[in-house]
Amino acid sequence: MSRYAMLIDETRCTGCRACQVACKQWNDLPGEQTRNRGTYTNPPALSAKTWSMIEFNEIETGDKVGFYFLKRGCMHCEHPACASVCLVGALHKTPDGPVVYDDSKCIGCRYCMSACPFGIPTFDWDRGLLNNALIRKCEFCVDRVSNGLIPACAKSCPSRVIAFGEREQLIAQAEARIEKNPNKYIKHIYGKDEVGGTSMLYLSSVPFDQLGLPALGTTPVTALSEQVMEYTVPFALAWGATLAGVAAVVRFRNRGKRIVENEKSET
Amino acid sequence: MQFIRRHQLAIVLVALVAFGLIVALVRYWAGIGAISNLSDAYPWGLWISFDLLCGVALASGAFTTAFAVHIFQLDRFRPVLRPAILTGFLGYVMVIVALLVDLGRPERIWHMIIFWNPHSVMFEVGWCVMLYTAVLALEFSPLVFERLRWRAPLAIIHRLTIVLVILGTLLSTLHQSSLGSLFLAMPRQVHPLWFSAFLPLYFFLTAIAVGPAMVILESSISSRVLHRGLETDVIGGLARAIPFALGAYLAIKIVDLTLANKWAAAFRDGMSALFWIEIIFGVIAPMLLFARSSVRHNPSRLLIGASLVIAGIVLNRFNVSLIGWTRPNEGWYVPHLLEFAITFGIVSAGVVAYGLVAKFLPLFADEPAPAPSPAE
Amino acid sequence: MTNDWVDLKNADVIFIIGANPASNHPASFSWINDTREHGAKLIVVDPAYTRSAATADVYAPIRPGTDIVFLGALINYAIQNKLYHEEYIKAYTNALTLISPDFKGPADLDGLFSGFDAEKKSYDTTTWKYQSEKVKDAAGNDISVPKQAVALDEPNTVFSILKKHYARYTPALVERICGTPQEKFLQVAKIFCATGAADKSGTILYAMGQTQHTVGTQNVRIMAMLQLLLGNIGIPGGGVNALRGESNVQGSTDFALLYQDLPGYLGAPTDRHPDFKTFAAKFDTTSYWINGPRFVVNLLKAWYGDAAKPENNYAYDYLPKTSGNYSWIPLFQAMGAGKIKGLFCMGMNPAVSGPNSRMERQSLANLDWLVVMDLFETETASFWRAPGTDPKNIQTEVFLLPALDAMEKVGSIVTSGRRIQWRPRVSAGPGEAQTDIWILDRLAQAIKKIYHGSPETRDLPIRDLTWFYGEGTDPDPEIVAREINGYALDDVKDASGAVILAKGALLPAFATIASAANYDAIACGNWLYAGYFAPADDGRGIWRPAARRRGQKDPGNLGLFPYWGFTWPANRHILYNRASARPDGSPWVENKKLIWWDAAQKKWTGYDVPDFVATKAPDAKAVIGGAGLAAQTGTDAFLMKADGKGWLFAPTGLSEGPLPEHYEPIESPVTNCLSGCNTNPVVKIWATNQDKPIGDKLGLCEQFPVICTTFRLGEHWQAGAMSRTLPWLAEIQPELFVMLGKDLAAARGITNGARAKIISARGEISAVAIVTARMKPLVIDGKQVHMVRIPWHWGWAGLATGDCVNDLTHHVGDANTMIPEYKAFLVDVRKT
Ligand SMILES: Nc1nc2c(c(=O)[nH]1)N[C@H]1C(S)=C(S)[C@@H](COP(=O)(O)OP(=O)(O)OC[C@H]3O[C@@H](n4cnc5c(=O)[nH]c(N)nc54)[C@H](O)[C@@H]3O)O[C@H]1N2
Ligand SMILES: Nc1nc2c(c(=O)[nH]1)N[C@H]1C(S)=C(S)[C@@H](COP(=O)(O)OP(=O)(O)OC[C@H]3O[C@@H](n4cnc5c(=O)[nH]c(N)nc54)[C@H](O)[C@@H]3O)O[C@H]1N2
Ligand code: SF4
Ligand code: SF4
Ligand code: SF4
Ligand code: SF4
Ligand code: SF4
Ligand SMILES: [Mo]
Repeated sequence: MSRYAMLIDETRCTGCRACQVACKQWNDLPGEQTRNRGTYTNPPALSAKTWSMIEFNEIETGDKVGFYFLKRGCMHCEHPACASVCLVGALHKTPDGPVVYDDSKCIGCRYCMSACPFGIPTFDWDRGLLNNALIRKCEFCVDRVSNGLIPACAKSCPSRVIAFGEREQLIAQAEARIEKNPNKYIKHIYGKDEVGGTSMLYLSSVPFDQLGLPALGTTPVTALSEQVMEYTVPFALAWGATLAGVAAVVRFRNRGKRIVENEKSET
Repeated sequence: MQFIRRHQLAIVLVALVAFGLIVALVRYWAGIGAISNLSDAYPWGLWISFDLLCGVALASGAFTTAFAVHIFQLDRFRPVLRPAILTGFLGYVMVIVALLVDLGRPERIWHMIIFWNPHSVMFEVGWCVMLYTAVLALEFSPLVFERLRWRAPLAIIHRLTIVLVILGTLLSTLHQSSLGSLFLAMPRQVHPLWFSAFLPLYFFLTAIAVGPAMVILESSISSRVLHRGLETDVIGGLARAIPFALGAYLAIKIVDLTLANKWAAAFRDGMSALFWIEIIFGVIAPMLLFARSSVRHNPSRLLIGASLVIAGIVLNRFNVSLIGWTRPNEGWYVPHLLEFAITFGIVSAGVVAYGLVAKFLPLFADEPAPAPSPAE
Repeated sequence: MTNDWVDLKNADVIFIIGANPASNHPASFSWINDTREHGAKLIVVDPAYTRSAATADVYAPIRPGTDIVFLGALINYAIQNKLYHEEYIKAYTNALTLISPDFKGPADLDGLFSGFDAEKKSYDTTTWKYQSEKVKDAAGNDISVPKQAVALDEPNTVFSILKKHYARYTPALVERICGTPQEKFLQVAKIFCATGAADKSGTILYAMGQTQHTVGTQNVRIMAMLQLLLGNIGIPGGGVNALRGESNVQGSTDFALLYQDLPGYLGAPTDRHPDFKTFAAKFDTTSYWINGPRFVVNLLKAWYGDAAKPENNYAYDYLPKTSGNYSWIPLFQAMGAGKIKGLFCMGMNPAVSGPNSRMERQSLANLDWLVVMDLFETETASFWRAPGTDPKNIQTEVFLLPALDAMEKVGSIVTSGRRIQWRPRVSAGPGEAQTDIWILDRLAQAIKKIYHGSPETRDLPIRDLTWFYGEGTDPDPEIVAREINGYALDDVKDASGAVILAKGALLPAFATIASAANYDAIACGNWLYAGYFAPADDGRGIWRPAARRRGQKDPGNLGLFPYWGFTWPANRHILYNRASARPDGSPWVENKKLIWWDAAQKKWTGYDVPDFVATKAPDAKAVIGGAGLAAQTGTDAFLMKADGKGWLFAPTGLSEGPLPEHYEPIESPVTNCLSGCNTNPVVKIWATNQDKPIGDKLGLCEQFPVICTTFRLGEHWQAGAMSRTLPWLAEIQPELFVMLGKDLAAARGITNGARAKIISARGEISAVAIVTARMKPLVIDGKQVHMVRIPWHWGWAGLATGDCVNDLTHHVGDANTMIPEYKAFLVDVRKT
């Protein structure tokens, strides 16, 4: 279990996007050229230049409208698929919680992107060989956290939506909030158990899938693939031995045959 | 006349290679985004689905044939072994070349040698492909040595053959199946009709099925283009294996879908239709065809059957990795024309290389019988 | 704000009407959310389902420009259901005061009050006066005092007038005029009026949704009345809270940003005050304003030093006397008419922000010269190359002086909660940019040089002006701060002759001015700020200029944080806090206690600084004929009012009447169904260039059937120079858009994300359409009306560019303040 987490209480969020901009500021990310596509959500999706963003969801039920905001970004999974699948181990989960990236190892295979159940890692599509194309995603402001500061997004949030702290305590805090305002909250802490738990914990007043967080089970998505990898060496040894055995048996038998044949021909 | 046609074909192929090279240069200069429709929503596209997944699967003729010839010592398949190995070898080289385009940091491909993550399926695939390509290179090397008349290395290779083949089979088993395992980490992305804990087995079984099919295809084409006789009975014999592999695949798939209670998904949408196309045309039809000896002994029917298997596998790999693959975030992907340019360029290069090998090296010379003892 | 931002955490109900703090005052939500976690309710009344509404417990839609009906109906609801705080209104408001029997209201006069002069479009206010009675003072002189009733319902009491006036404002009328479904209104009424209970407090947050109307001032008035009625003024978690705008607009209003004022809200001399005597006479003598003339003297001493002496009435004659209206609209009309030749534009961007901006840009083209002091080359600085303008036709000479931003300079900033915080410079500025005071200092010195030694009397105001803000080139903000704070020019003594402030010392508080015998020995640039720069304890025994303190102690845990900065007046955080206690001086309830009477010590004590003389007992009687606060009793909670009461009825001060009455916006799709008086009867309407393509024109609903209201986005700042130039902000809101409902979009064939044209009688703009369920048509008086909403941050300069929305708005303003009616006008939308 990682030590730190962030509790994001979306019922407090006003969609002001201070967090989105603060993330760019702290991480020195450039602004993207965008256009208005009939929604406030912008840029349209996470990208190498945008590691965290607010998604605006307008939900109509009957003649009631709801307007909900989701802070999207890396979940810092307890069992991060991205780290599990990265062949060179460029990504890893620190004991403190952040899933961080060693950009000097990455070969750019983008398996992490494909595997992440939340679709988080992004890539520098517009960078060539000379421009250091890399995978990009939120790194939980590990540079701040490891220096005793809280993440930039949490720091900037004017409505104090984002609480940073010890994961266990935040879960307790989230449970207390749900208990205190049972009518306000969905009785579920998203991220507590999803895909084996994440360091981002969410509270919401609408079902999480409506908010845009996928319904995922509680098993880490890489459970199977890691199991397969565990069996690989024993399997390889066994299979290698079997093949050698088969080859030997066949040879042995065929040698017999050949000798007989040779004898026949000699006679 | 024939010469001109071959000549023309060569020109077209070389042009495609050249164009692919130019496109690759653009990619290296301006980034993958400049020549592809790949995006954060679809980080893997045509190159992974076709060049890598199909490429590796379609190159399985090498290990299946080598297995048959060297491990089971089924000597009658010897005539097609060298072309099969060449096809495999070229196939893997093509895969690697494609990866050098597709990888974000191709200059770091060697990192996988020194940075290890044993949890990663891709780690296994990487190593296997690397080693197996080396094995294929060695298996292929006698052609060169023969041509150059280098006896000593030739002798060493011949000694090593059985070890190489065992190693090759082992590596192939591992990575052919692992290509399926790659997707085990994506239970949500891969369409339920294709996602399964058996993905590695499926990939392996279908690779076994497509190996002979590729040999059939390749022999048929080369016999026509290069005007040599077709070893119909040889390849017909190879085809015998196909119904077994596909049958096993189909049986497991049916049990799997039933146990996982997923049949509803097979009657729902466009993906369901693709599923049935894959099963009926790619699995059941070739099974039935190759089960008949009339088919196995008829070059054009063989070709039809093999083509079905190949198309079925290609469709399968695309379904798993692209068409039925969904993302948590929105987005849609259709390959960019320039992505095809890369793929065509690489395939053309492979064909040209095949042609050159056929022309300059003893490709269709029979693989010599097992290790002739010095006494002979 | 009567209260402060953090104080929102003490509210039981937060009622946002006419503001969208989630976007425009986002930090407020930390406190709003906090109190909601403890069960408080949030109500939002807004034409659109905004980001603030998104988290609200109750959202009620309203048609722009009809808040008086909504709030009036709340008053009616509170009265009908006896939810008002009876003890409070009897003690602290003028509810019991009797009004002239000649007074007649809109209920009798079809929308008008008694005294209307149709020709002049103004009121004679005689009939609005209090009844008075004569009492004898100690010396036996007749003194007239306002006459009070005993019971609320006696005839002619303020309360009975109020009751009658608002009896017409029923839930049904709300539905008919505002378009708010009755049950929504009742939901709001039930929740908010429950704060009339003594142990509950409710706060009202408002901003431009209330003020930018032809009835803007009355909108604000009616909120104050509702709060008085519910006993929500003066208590923690209560108040009428204007969420102010520009980052230091509170500070600049305190310093007479508006033409009608002198610093500290002393009022500007007009031609009705030709000499100091008449000017001094305008201040009440039965309230704290009795010190007004002293404050004026201190101000003049600060400005003119030794040249301000008793003999010349402290240089009062140097001050210009206004003779008309010099607010925004008249100024631009005057520029258009060629009466004003030059404009110094410091930190504003009128080419985008002014109403009917096309016409205002034309006015700029009429100038001989224009100086723009700004951080960026704004649309104003580049008005001569606005799209569709040919620079060849513009003769105005334009100067652009690069200024430094707030973060790039030292100085104080005042929040809406009146808290003054001194801030350091945190970043170096670019290029040749200079602080505003550097520029002004240079300018002043140059001007003074020109007039130096001039014998002309008319040049004295410039010649005698004291001007020393530091040696060398750079003026020192701390010297400015000292002048504002006030200091002793000589030993200051009280009536007994004791020195209460030594020569050269900083003024600790304005009380010193009130008790000084030789008050003219004090120079003070703004009495309200007296003490803000004087040394003060930060709660840890560390003394530093008050505005610089960062002490985090918070006695009472109410979020007052008295050791953090300095809150004017006198570091008082909740205004009128006498009302936080019962008339007998004990707190209304334990959990809302703020200050209370300590009988043992014979003084008021508590967490905040009392809003009156701290030793005045709750049962203190008024001194008949007494001067200033002596004329007020121990329960007079509103020390700045002549009668010490909160005014439910305003006998003076407002142009359109003592009680807010609903009138339609100048451009409205419906006629007033409350009375025959359609629009605000005292509003001034210009009609310049009506026949020209660009001019003052009003649109009719036949041609422009859609209501338009303009608003702000969290992502942009005002006219846009400060945000559209930043890539990160341009990225999140790249384009001008118009929000419209699905029905209207369908009717006009406009699809989400497509472009639409918006046309008014003044101009036409193009914007991306956001078709949204958050905008719904309203049914007004049986007729369906559509609304659109447009953020107004765009112009042609910067990274994210777009049309100027104010090309659509009109040159019509509130009858008191002239704030333009940006929030309700008529347009049509079309597909492009
Ligand atoms: N991010 C950001 N913050 C800002 C500013 C900015 O430009 N950007 N500007 C600052 C300034 S100077 C100011 S003055 C404040 C203004 O702050 P606000 O007043 O909150 O700003 P607006 O968005 O103009 O208007 C507020 C709301 O009033 C609603 N409204 C319109 N007409 C009516 C009506 O008749 N009745 C009611 N009840 N509501 C109505 C609108 O729909 C809108 O949601 O914001 C300040 N804060
Ligand atoms: N349609 C419509 N129009 C409106 C409104 C509306 O709601 N609807 N709201 C109105 C309101 S409430 C307001 S307050 C006005 C605002 O209208 P403006 O005041 O004209 O708008 P701003 O963009 O805030 O202009 C401030 C300028 O000051 C510059 N600046 C910032 N800091 C400094 C500094 O330290 N020194 C100097 N010299 N310059 C500086 C900025 O770059 C900016 O260009 O707009 C009004 N216009
Ligand atoms: S959300 Fe995705 S990128 Fe982030 S840690 Fe989990 S798997 Fe990795
Ligand atoms: S793209 Fe880089 S970080 Fe991601 S899996 Fe591949 S090597 Fe690892
Ligand atoms: S933790 Fe840091 S990097 Fe991650 S979203 Fe927040 S600000 Fe961005
Ligand atoms: S800063 Fe806070 S309130 Fe604003 S969008 Fe981000 S999480 Fe929501
Ligand atoms: S003043 Fe600054 S910190 Fe406060 S709400 Fe506005 S932008 Fe945010
Ligand atoms: Mo404002």
